[in-house]
Amino acid sequence: MSLLEIKNLHANIGDKVILRGINLTVNAGEIHAIMGPNGSGKSTLCQVLGGRDGFEVTEGSVQFDGMNLLEMATEDRANAGLLLGFQHPVEIPGVKNIYLLKESLNAQRKARGLGELDTFAFMKQVRELVKSMQMDDAFLHRGVNAGFSGGEKKRNEILQMLLLQPKLALLDETDSGLDIDALKIVSEGINRLRGTDRGIVLVTHYQRLLSYVEPDFVHILYKGQIIKSGDKSLALQLEAEGYEDILKAAS
Amino acid sequence: MSAALPRAIEPVELPEWLRAALSQPVTASLAPTGVQTLACEQILSWGLPTARDEEWRWTNLRPIARLSATSTIDNTASPKTPATDLTAFVPNAWVIRCNGGQLQPLPQNLPAGITITPLTEASEADCAAAFAPRAQGRNDALVALNTALAGDGFVLDIAAHADIQAPILIDWHDTPHEANHSHTRLLIRLGAHSKATLIEATPSSCSNTPLSTYWRNAVSVIEQGANSQLNHINLGLGDYQRLLTDRSFVHLERDARYRSIHIQLGGQLTRHEIDVNISAPGAHCDLLGLMMPRGKQVMDTHTRITHGAPHTTSNEHYLIIADDAGRGIFKGRILVAQDAQKIEAYQNSRNLLLSNTAEIDTKPELEIYADDVKCSHGATIGRLDDEAIYYLQSRGISAANARKLLVTGFAQEIIDALPYPELIAHLSELIGAGA
Ligand SMILES: Nc1ncnc2c1ncn2[C@@H]1O[C@H](COP(=O)(O)OP(=O)(O)OP(=O)(O)O)[C@@H](O)[C@H]1O
Ligand SMILES: [Mg+2]
Repeated sequence: MSLLEIKNLHANIGDKVILRGINLTVNAGEIHAIMGPNGSGKSTLCQVLGGRDGFEVTEGSVQFDGMNLLEMATEDRANAGLLLGFQHPVEIPGVKNIYLLKESLNAQRKARGLGELDTFAFMKQVRELVKSMQMDDAFLHRGVNAGFSGGEKKRNEILQMLLLQPKLALLDETDSGLDIDALKIVSEGINRLRGTDRGIVLVTHYQRLLSYVEPDFVHILYKGQIIKSGDKSLALQLEAEGYEDILKAAS
Repeated sequence: MSAALPRAIEPVELPEWLRAALSQPVTASLAPTGVQTLACEQILSWGLPTARDEEWRWTNLRPIARLSATSTIDNTASPKTPATDLTAFVPNAWVIRCNGGQLQPLPQNLPAGITITPLTEASEADCAAAFAPRAQGRNDALVALNTALAGDGFVLDIAAHADIQAPILIDWHDTPHEANHSHTRLLIRLGAHSKATLIEATPSSCSNTPLSTYWRNAVSVIEQGANSQLNHINLGLGDYQRLLTDRSFVHLERDARYRSIHIQLGGQLTRHEIDVNISAPGAHCDLLGLMMPRGKQVMDTHTRITHGAPHTTSNEHYLIIADDAGRGIFKGRILVAQDAQKIEAYQNSRNLLLSNTAEIDTKPELEIYADDVKCSHGATIGRLDDEAIYYLQSRGISAANARKLLVTGFAQEIIDALPYPELIAHLSELIGAGA
């Protein structure tokens, strides 16, 4: 059974058709990269999988770990093991980071029939993760993403991912806006999640990330469809030649 | 206080039980006789304020007029949920219990530096000081009413140089009382260089029946000597049906600091008023507040800060979180007198509407007659951010819990100003539960 199986997915925002028949299968142990020009629908795909309001799925199906994903509430998707890394993580000034981490881990435990966290063990785990992301403990007591720099927000997304240990991580441009040091830290974080029982989907514009986190498959999304798939050499080709020839060849 | 209104306004009929109370012998009040007589005449001719009185535009006192003549508090049955004992959240407090406005035996063995004298035993001069603020017109009608009827209260003196670490907690339990209303008067005096924390609490679950209604109309006079420091915490956790009107008159001498933290989570109708008179250089006040009206509750805060001397500062920060058909009102007046230069006054009103039927009215009122003044004010009214709720949901947190996190998060900056971690945790829970 595949971890994620997207079949002929169509989706609209209002009257506007954005996704026009996406097919994608991700098996446990695989890393996929999705690339494509601005506005082609990459984030829309991520948000439809995340269950955001305002997107209307008009056709197609999505199976996640044997479940009908599109029928599940956003929080149930998360607790079933799907993690969405946002292209633009939301700033929530009033809610401290540490509360978000605690609430989300507790929610996941509850969904799995486990009791509440032991605070001491939790804090120890969180502090280790903070250190591994080369963040400061002070971030834990600041509002979620509030006033964070672009790079800090992305590190915070990976921190949450590592705490929640999702079966499938769907990371939308987690590498955008990172300097080279931060990119290394984020890539190391992603590689730590890698495992035979997990899948990772990276949405990116840059080959740079893919040299740190090597994908098994690379897909090109254009005008709401995956128009070409290949292995990691496709990303290198894109980097060298740009989209133009590939788009021409595919159309 | 504002001057008497020039236009003629028809008085609102006082309810019969209030008229009856006002016609009783003078012994009803502890105010000096002449003062009491005048106040009695004023309130009888004025009636209760109405929406036509500038300071009462948004808050209707009809629920008071509708009170039945006797309290419907049932104190024979045992409470369904025991009253929250705030001493559990405020360690080492000196507790003063007031039932229905009646002072219970005072705590024994008070530390050196604290003196509490019931008004019934206070000197003439102290009584005169306690009743010094006079009603100037119908906007102050409740002060006149309190002056006419104040049946209990006390003088709290903090000696000069005393540094009182443990908080003094006044517990306004209103259970075993037959009347439907009480009028209390406090005089709080801090000697020069002294420091104290005063907590006034209206605890939750004082009564059993949802029908119980009870009105407490309080006036406090706070006089702070030079360089003294008072933390004044007001916790209105109490019953849904309670009516509460209270007004504090604060007077600050040179370098004195007054800090008020007011948290209103319960009450059918509450009106909280603070008048701060900053009368000497170097003095400062911080006024912080949070009101959370739900159901059909109406919660109102009016502050009036007068910068009457140069080099004085004030800082106000008020939040309202309104849900259901609840109404929250904040009006903050800042007056800077003509020769009061080098003033800094900052006011911020942040508000959150949780439903389409809730209502929030917020209004700054600045009157500045000096020119070297830094004065800023801001007011915002917002709703919960759907993006934020979705983001939290995407981390596995249910929509309901996401709301809770956001609402407690919004309230946090006021709650966190309280100096007791256990109390902060308790209030966060109450706020989350109401979100
Ligand atoms: N809320 C919205 N309302 C209307 N159109 C939208 C909305 N959100 C996205 N779109 C449109 O949907 C299309 C796909 O957007 P999407 O964000 O999915 O692109 P993307 O591939 O992620 O682009 P980028 O590389 O710039 O992040 C775009 O044309 C965009 O303008
Ligand atoms: Mg995008």
